[in-house]
Amino acid sequence: MTLEIQNLHVRTEDREILHGVDLTVKRGETHALMGPNGSGKSTLANTLMGNPTYEVTEGRVLLDGEDLTEADPDERARAGLFLAFQYPATIPGVSVANFLRMAVNAGREEPIKVKEFGVLLRKNVDLLKITGDFTKRYLNEGFSGGEKKRAEILQLAMLQPAFAVLDETDSGLDIDALRVVSDGVNAMRGDERGFLIITHYTRILGYVRPDFVHIMLDGRIVREGGAELADELEEKGYEFVREEVAGSAG
Amino acid sequence: MPASRDSVGALVEERRKAALEAYEAEPVPTWRRSGFWTTTLRGLDLDALEPKRYDEGLPELDLGDEEHAALIVQCGANVVHTDVVDERITVMPLEQAVEEHEELVREYFAKRLPHDEGKFAAGTAAFWTGGVFIHVPKNVQIEKPIQVVWLIDEPGTAQWAHTLAIVGEHSEVKIREFFRAPDFEGQALHSGAFELYALPGAQVDLAHYQDWGRGEVYDLSTRRVEIRRDARVKWVPIHLGGRLTKQTLDIITAEDGSDMKHTGMYFTERDEHLDLFTTDKHEAGHTTGDTVWKGVLTGESRASYEGLIHILPKAPEVDTYLQTHQMLLSPRARGDAIPSLIVEVDNVKASHGGTVGELDEEQIFYMMSRGLPRAEAVRVLVEGYFEEVVQRLEDPGLEELVRRRIAEKLKGAEDQVREFIGERAEAV
Ligand SMILES: Nc1ncnc2c1ncn2[C@@H]1O[C@H](COP(=O)(O)OP(=O)(O)OP(=O)(O)O)[C@@H](O)[C@H]1O
Ligand SMILES: [Mg+2]
Repeated sequence: MTLEIQNLHVRTEDREILHGVDLTVKRGETHALMGPNGSGKSTLANTLMGNPTYEVTEGRVLLDGEDLTEADPDERARAGLFLAFQYPATIPGVSVANFLRMAVNAGREEPIKVKEFGVLLRKNVDLLKITGDFTKRYLNEGFSGGEKKRAEILQLAMLQPAFAVLDETDSGLDIDALRVVSDGVNAMRGDERGFLIITHYTRILGYVRPDFVHIMLDGRIVREGGAELADELEEKGYEFVREEVAGSAG
Repeated sequence: MPASRDSVGALVEERRKAALEAYEAEPVPTWRRSGFWTTTLRGLDLDALEPKRYDEGLPELDLGDEEHAALIVQCGANVVHTDVVDERITVMPLEQAVEEHEELVREYFAKRLPHDEGKFAAGTAAFWTGGVFIHVPKNVQIEKPIQVVWLIDEPGTAQWAHTLAIVGEHSEVKIREFFRAPDFEGQALHSGAFELYALPGAQVDLAHYQDWGRGEVYDLSTRRVEIRRDARVKWVPIHLGGRLTKQTLDIITAEDGSDMKHTGMYFTERDEHLDLFTTDKHEAGHTTGDTVWKGVLTGESRASYEGLIHILPKAPEVDTYLQTHQMLLSPRARGDAIPSLIVEVDNVKASHGGTVGELDEEQIFYMMSRGLPRAEAVRVLVEGYFEEVVQRLEDPGLEELVRRRIAEKLKGAEDQVREFIGERAEAV
């Protein structure tokens, strides 16, 4: 029961961004993906979710053995994949609550009962310590950076996907919010679920301890290890990885 | 009352005569503007149309709201049903008001509607029959809406329409006009005049709901709203169908302290052609305006929206803005959204802006990533886009009616949207 990324080459109109990425996340595992700005982390996340901006030229993405490389984003979502966006889109005129109801229903045969949905929403709103008229506001319209991230995590909590990719969900959160979001993620961890957490900071990894850490550089994964790799990175910076890679190549 | 030389009846007749001359003197117009835009009536066989009369009776109607303060329905050339529930107000055929409400008709009838403003305004002034008269006395609050319905029941119909509404000082009322036709094959004409006078301190919640169906209905109309001292009018015109629509919609703050809120929308499909010209006219100072228009185009439709803010020399301290947005959902649709501004006085705040765009792929991807199929994502985005306008109706029944019609239209346009997005994806 795994999310498998095999030899993934991805390009946009003008150039190749990912040059053969291999990464496997088993259910029950939490992986961290780190790397400098522009190394291709969001490109990988978006490609996993099927963003049509990115073209896969080689390799594949499998979810529990099913090839999703050519699948539409909605099929991927229904297959159990979730992406918390680094820069979520704004959806004017559609309230958070309304959008959540549509998203929940998209994964079900029968639409959820109004009451049942209300209970589920309240539970998760409480879990994430969301207050005020947040769920009545139009999705991401006029949201602060931190509010956008909370809205992403609220969707994650409501949808309970098998595999979740969190693209810099920790950036822009204040300390209390980071704590709440981390607690939320920890509450969802379990044998049936896998996480891929993209981050620049070890702060979140202090709360959500990863089983594996991968480092991406210029569209490739160049180092892999356990949680201690994140600490090493924090101490030495990316330059040491860069030098190491250059050294082993030369 | 005997029709003396200057009775109101005689004045109306004189106007008809003068208008008939203007109508006959004018050729069938073509409206052109720089760029690609032309609105032509070449396809309309005017001679084949005639006023049609119907027996009294209440046709089946879905007007969103179940209850009303009054309901008046004109089918073809005559009023077929009148039901006034709230006895404080007067709602009757305009023909009857000419007899029974001489003073009001003398003071207000056609006050803002010259009979010689073009061929069809002249035609309407010459040929109107039936008609609608609404009078709300001063200092009353009317909770339920006054509903006016213009029906065209069959092809071959020429409907010449006139509505006169007067809302008394410090009164509050909701007025809705509906324009409906079944889906028939063939041509029809609705040439309409609408005038509303909101007297000092009045508050009017006005909506126009046009859905002429799939028949070839041509709608050539002029609508004017005059707002007097400290009165307020919220106007929501909604265009959901018609083969060709050419309308002039003017809202005028005529005296100090008056306020307009003007929020419109349109959804065009198939080969529909919509040409709207709206003016927010500030004749007096210390007045405020807030105009938003949004449109969506599908099929091979054409839609042009021009919105003018006009601030006259005697109108200082005006605070107003106008925004117009248009969204293309089909590669074969073409549209224009043109805001403009004429300011003839210093010391005003006026701004305007316009956008013409397509659906945002990032937004669609975002919604699909939550499991929504593409068609549903598009539907939700378009509904969300219109929501700002729909909510300004502040009328749950009518809002539901509008949302339902938009959803139906989007369902019909699904293939085009898919094709459009496919086409652009290939172009990338
Ligand atoms: N849609 C696109 N069109 C063109 N170039 C793109 C596009 N998306 C990403 N890129 C480029 O690909 C590279 C990788 O970008 P990506 O957003 O994946 O980086 P990242 O690792 O997520 O960076 P950050 O840490 O800053 O979020 C960058 O050079 C970026 O400019
Ligand atoms: Mg990124």
